[in-house]
Amino acid sequence: MRRVAVTGMGMVTPLGNTGDGAYACARSGQSGIRRLEASFSHRLAAPLAACARFDGAAHFEPPKLRMLDRVSQFAVVAANQAIAQAGSNFDAMDRERVGVFVGTAMGGSHTSDEGYKTLYGDGSDRIKPFTVLMGMHNAPAAWIGIEHALRGPNLTYATACSSSAVAIGEAWLRVAAGAIDMAIAGGSEAPLSFGSLKAWEALHTLAAIDAAQPSASCKPFSKGRSGMVLGEGAAMLVLEAWESAVDRGACIQGEILGYGLATDAGHITRPSVDGQAAAMRAALRSAALDASEVDAINAHGTGTLANDAVETAAIKAVFGKRAHAIPISATKALHGHQLGAAGALECVLSLLAMQNAAVLPTMHLDVADPDCDLDYVPNAGRENAGVRTMLSNSFAFGGTNAVLALRRSLA
Amino acid sequence: MTKTFDRLCAILIKDYKLDAALLTPDAPLDGLGIDSLGVAELLFTVEDEFGIVLPPQPVQLPTLGDVVHYIDALVAAQRDAASAETVNASLTAP
Repeated sequence: MRRVAVTGMGMVTPLGNTGDGAYACARSGQSGIRRLEASFSHRLAAPLAACARFDGAAHFEPPKLRMLDRVSQFAVVAANQAIAQAGSNFDAMDRERVGVFVGTAMGGSHTSDEGYKTLYGDGSDRIKPFTVLMGMHNAPAAWIGIEHALRGPNLTYATACSSSAVAIGEAWLRVAAGAIDMAIAGGSEAPLSFGSLKAWEALHTLAAIDAAQPSASCKPFSKGRSGMVLGEGAAMLVLEAWESAVDRGACIQGEILGYGLATDAGHITRPSVDGQAAAMRAALRSAALDASEVDAINAHGTGTLANDAVETAAIKAVFGKRAHAIPISATKALHGHQLGAAGALECVLSLLAMQNAAVLPTMHLDVADPDCDLDYVPNAGRENAGVRTMLSNSFAFGGTNAVLALRRSLA
Repeated sequence: MTKTFDRLCAILIKDYKLDAALLTPDAPLDGLGIDSLGVAELLFTVEDEFGIVLPPQPVQLPTLGDVVHYIDALVAAQRDAASAETVNASLTAP
């Protein structure tokens, strides 16, 4: 297996639309979660969301923009950023050996929502002609491939909240095995349509509003946590063989060391300590890492009662007594839960944190929970943390648990 | 140029940012950058603009002039059908 370098990273997030901007907000604990100001907010029990400040018209001409759901707009813009940072020259490459791997849980949910409203709400028999093309889950990956004429594998993963961690992991496998030379990998999600928000609300997984401070409504690992807050955005990475990245003089942003995948196969929503622990162990094996070599963890940390307690128990199962000495960051407190894009977003934030020798804080951890008794880096990040190797956890409804093992670039 | 042609050109200039000078009846749609998907979208807009209902079957419309003839034929047919319906309704009214 070949070593795999990350040479480009791009982001569209509620914390900003560049990696550096989003990292700065995450590092200083600035939340992108707000009270949602939408025409339907009064029909939501807790009108909260983490919205990206993003206008597709600033990036695409009208004829193309009309073909792109917001999820595809995010994906293409984030991929373009990553490719620009990597300095990739596809003209000098075999384009059949460059692949695109994208995770998304909800696909073009704005398009689906609008179509249903037209048909069922407005009673119209006419639906927009691009509804299929905009709503299909593989549209974001397809558009990235079209934009750059990339003719290798073009794959979309829908494993709910682990989708983009799976996409990065599957891309890593192919680059490491030599099946392809380069991958654009990550995730995109635009789930803030009325229909999606109501569907998530019906599951009783969304946070209540913190009346005093709505931006602090998501409280991972806190006793007072009440659920997650939906967020939108995308994060994309360029992965390539380490040697070729060095040969072409690319600036290496970090390294994907390995990828673990394990399935609960128990309950469709209830998380499992065994499943999450198995995924972390699989990532360590894949990366040829001993548990003692993990310096920090980016937790799945959704802020739901079930996840955070189970994830805590799973980390203890894997790391034993040392679990208490590992700093654990849950950044969803700030950027919300991007569902299928969350794993990629947190992978990028983790690589940036290691570049800055820092660990990111878990904000709004107001009251300790006896079931969550590890070091979550509460409410303030740390400098000079000496973090060289991290795990980034992504767990999912459906039980597909994915963990990425990451290393700080030593180049 | 017909009124239909002018209204069609107004859509093309507004939605596709096309140069008015390129819009002639014999201009091929493909040459204007409007592929089969673009035609599907254009016809959706045409339905609204001209108040007509297009049949769901695919249709070959190589040039702008072909689109104009297609619209005019549908407008005439659907106007005649609507008139016949009005007449029938008045004949059967109590």
